[in-house]
Amino acid sequence: MNEPIKVFLVDDHPLVREGLTNLINQQPRFRVCGEAENVPDALRGIETSDPDVAIVDISLKGSSGLELIKQLKALRPRLAIIALSMHDEKFYAERAIRAGARGYVMKRESTKKIVAAIDEVLKGRLCISEQVAAGLAEKFIGGRTGNDWPVELLSDRELEVFNLLGQGFETRQVAETLNVSMKTVQAYCARIKQKLKLSTASELLREAIRWHEQEPQR
Amino acid sequence: MGAIGELGNRAARWLEGRSRGEIALACLVSILIVGYVDYVTGIWFSLSVIYAMPIAVAAWYVNRPYAYLLSAMSAAEWVLSDLAHGLPSGSNWIELWNGTLRLLFYAFLVLLLGRLHDLHRNLSRRVEERTAALTREIAERERLERKLSEAADDERRSIGQDIHDSLCQHLTGTALASQVLAGRLEARGLAEAADSQKIVDLVEEAIAMARGMAKGLQPVEPHPDGLMLALEEFAATTSELFRIACTLECDSPVLVEWPGVATHLYRIAQEAVGNAVRHGRATAVIIALETAKNGIRLSVGDNGTGMRDPMPDARGLGLKIMAERAKVIGARLSFGRSEAGGTELVCEVNRGDIPAYFDHE
Repeated sequence: MNEPIKVFLVDDHPLVREGLTNLINQQPRFRVCGEAENVPDALRGIETSDPDVAIVDISLKGSSGLELIKQLKALRPRLAIIALSMHDEKFYAERAIRAGARGYVMKRESTKKIVAAIDEVLKGRLCISEQVAAGLAEKFIGGRTGNDWPVELLSDRELEVFNLLGQGFETRQVAETLNVSMKTVQAYCARIKQKLKLSTASELLREAIRWHEQEPQR
Repeated sequence: MGAIGELGNRAARWLEGRSRGEIALACLVSILIVGYVDYVTGIWFSLSVIYAMPIAVAAWYVNRPYAYLLSAMSAAEWVLSDLAHGLPSGSNWIELWNGTLRLLFYAFLVLLLGRLHDLHRNLSRRVEERTAALTREIAERERLERKLSEAADDERRSIGQDIHDSLCQHLTGTALASQVLAGRLEARGLAEAADSQKIVDLVEEAIAMARGMAKGLQPVEPHPDGLMLALEEFAATTSELFRIACTLECDSPVLVEWPGVATHLYRIAQEAVGNAVRHGRATAVIIALETAKNGIRLSVGDNGTGMRDPMPDARGLGLKIMAERAKVIGARLSFGRSEAGGTELVCEVNRGDIPAYFDHE
């Protein structure tokens, strides 16, 4: 018989860890090989137990599960990571996927979905809801995936605005820096959103920050 | 009469702007001038009331001893001026009697005015003290109200956080454990597996309910982009729940670095949208959030029936609470007619007007 698939759990709530462990261990093909409640323990535990799948709660006490996902992705590119969260997928799923997770499961659906999610990510597929997948696909069609950005669509001025937003500048500060009115900045933002197919200002902000973070690597 | 009263008021205002020394000098000069005029105009032209004026002014604005001195001077000037024209009454004794009478009259005037002035001053002081006490009391009451409202908000946030972080997690653990149980019962082919599965469903419903409650208690995440996200979600939920078109217009990112301010703005928007739907029967609501010159501008416009006058009490209370929230964060709140013919609420908050205690949250 094949060795069972090794699963590592990172969640700061003991009862959730216990429930997940029992549920996953109920499946003969899986075995929980370790668990941790914080980032340092998780990094150590994963180093020693060498799991195939890691299930990570994105909001850990005192640290960010998203950061852990990024670190794990860099350290162990072959590890399949599933983000688990109490938060709605609308706001975090995309971030988790971009950080390097292959799946996003909301805790309230975990009883039904977690086992299926492990199977899915092991097959190399993304495990996200249709809605989130549709959103990502939309952006893909919009010409933007991973590090590939259609920033060439932006005019010089728009790019400047986008860059400043990414540096954490507010509309007012952008206006002051570029010496234009705030209405002008708002108009630039509206055009950038249109060109990058972003629907909201918060999405614009996220994208700008992400672009700014990746820019040095370009 | 009115004109004379007005003249008196203006004179009083003019005098209050002068120093004591200046007034004392002016009174002295006036007395000398009146004395000279008295002498020039001769004995049959009485100036006794004219003498009284600088004396009265000195009694009120300088001090009593000085006023007595001026009284004595006036009496002396009058007597001397009469004497200079050669005793009209024909007797020194009559002249002395008249002079003394006049001196006593002036002294009595000074005494009366002095007393009146003391009373006036005491009354003014008491009014000032009372006003200061009232101002302190109002400030203290406002501080307490603010503390109370902050404490209530903190409590809400903390309960919301607890529900989200503890209760929901606990329920998740319970759902997982029930799912494990259901799996085991199913493995043994027992019919109770279905019951156990039912428990899982019920617990999951409970998680959804608890999350809803947590969200209601702590709608805005404490991040600078929290307000934007919360309003986006609120607009989406409102559209879904009430089957209306509720949209957030926010061209460029609006960051609010004070979680307390963000929460108040959110609640103001929530109340305004609630009013638009419940009272205005609006079918389209636009929430606009933008960066203004010195701060943030939030507006909520609808296509409803607009505001009625007088307003029903419930709506009136909602408006008062909105106004109170705006006051707490130092914002200006105004109502007008929206482009769509309904109501438009505008809430503008300047960075400089946000009370300092929001910085320490």
